[in-house]
Amino acid sequence: MKKIIYLIIVAVVVFSSCTTTSKIPKSTAYKGIYGEKPLSILLMPPINRSTNVEAKEYFHSTLNIPIANAGYYVIPPFLSMEILKRESAYDAELFLNSPLTKFQEIFGADMAVFTIIHKWDKSGLAAKVYVEVEYIIKSTKTNEIIYTRKGNVTYDASVSTGAGGVWGAIADLAASAINTAATKYVDVARACNTYTFKDLPAGKYSPNYGIDGAEMSGKKDYKVNLNKNYR
Amino acid sequence: MKKNIILIVSIAFLASCATQKPLYTWGNYEITSYNYLKNSDNKSIQEIIENYQKIIETQKGTRGIVPPGVCADYGFLLLQEGKKEQGEKMLMKEIILYPESRIFIERILKMIEE
Repeated sequence: MKKIIYLIIVAVVVFSSCTTTSKIPKSTAYKGIYGEKPLSILLMPPINRSTNVEAKEYFHSTLNIPIANAGYYVIPPFLSMEILKRESAYDAELFLNSPLTKFQEIFGADMAVFTIIHKWDKSGLAAKVYVEVEYIIKSTKTNEIIYTRKGNVTYDASVSTGAGGVWGAIADLAASAINTAATKYVDVARACNTYTFKDLPAGKYSPNYGIDGAEMSGKKDYKVNLNKNYR
Repeated sequence: MKKNIILIVSIAFLASCATQKPLYTWGNYEITSYNYLKNSDNKSIQEIIENYQKIIETQKGTRGIVPPGVCADYGFLLLQEGKKEQGEKMLMKEIILYPESRIFIERILKMIEE
């Protein structure tokens, strides 16, 4: 009996240390995905409501990998962007609340993912970036939302030079300043996207396809601290 | 004995949240894509092309095949560089690897012929 209690305690501690989950299994939280079994997904150009004009490209260039690595077919991002532009459909805001059947016809898309960047603020000295971002995946068949999460992300972009004392602190500051170049902001968006889509049910190309429904889903609204080590 | 069991269980749980090997590897996909989106100059085009070649030629993901979209986007760039034959070949390769891309890619191939 004691042994079992020990095991439960250890399991709970270890479990809670690696992820914050809701108490809802994925098969319930994302029942549209388990029901429809969508495969192909169109990346909509992110909607930028933040004060940072660059944020759109940071997110756009980092959406593909986490979704493809989850086992879905991501419709070629640059090629589809070109077509959206030609069809004057580049403003994703236009489609947020309208039928998406055309995307099935033109791109063969089962789903479309919308990204809304609500906030992107940086604090210079502390090398921190605060991001508020919302993700909405809609079915092109039913127009229903089949996956949505909203994140409140604090990203720590600082780097330690490893040197101690006053000079070390100055060196750290200088290193952080260099670190806040565009490449590092791309990493902020990458971390947000990776964290959010870690919760996606596995797609057809994943070995976990169809067998992860009992796993607990992540929180729909989440708050998290991330940094460049987050993968 | 009890300690051993606890140890084994904790290792098992820890391992379950460690990152698994990904389905695909992407090289410097994100930053080269960003630079291309932002600048579309010769340097960024050259870099994104080199990265596409790297993804195609040295794929180390668990599936062992080129990730979705890469052949098509690479082919699209080749077309824009005037390399029609090579570009079309890459677009066809996308359909072979991912039959669900047929609707879209055939539309593009048709557009090129027009």
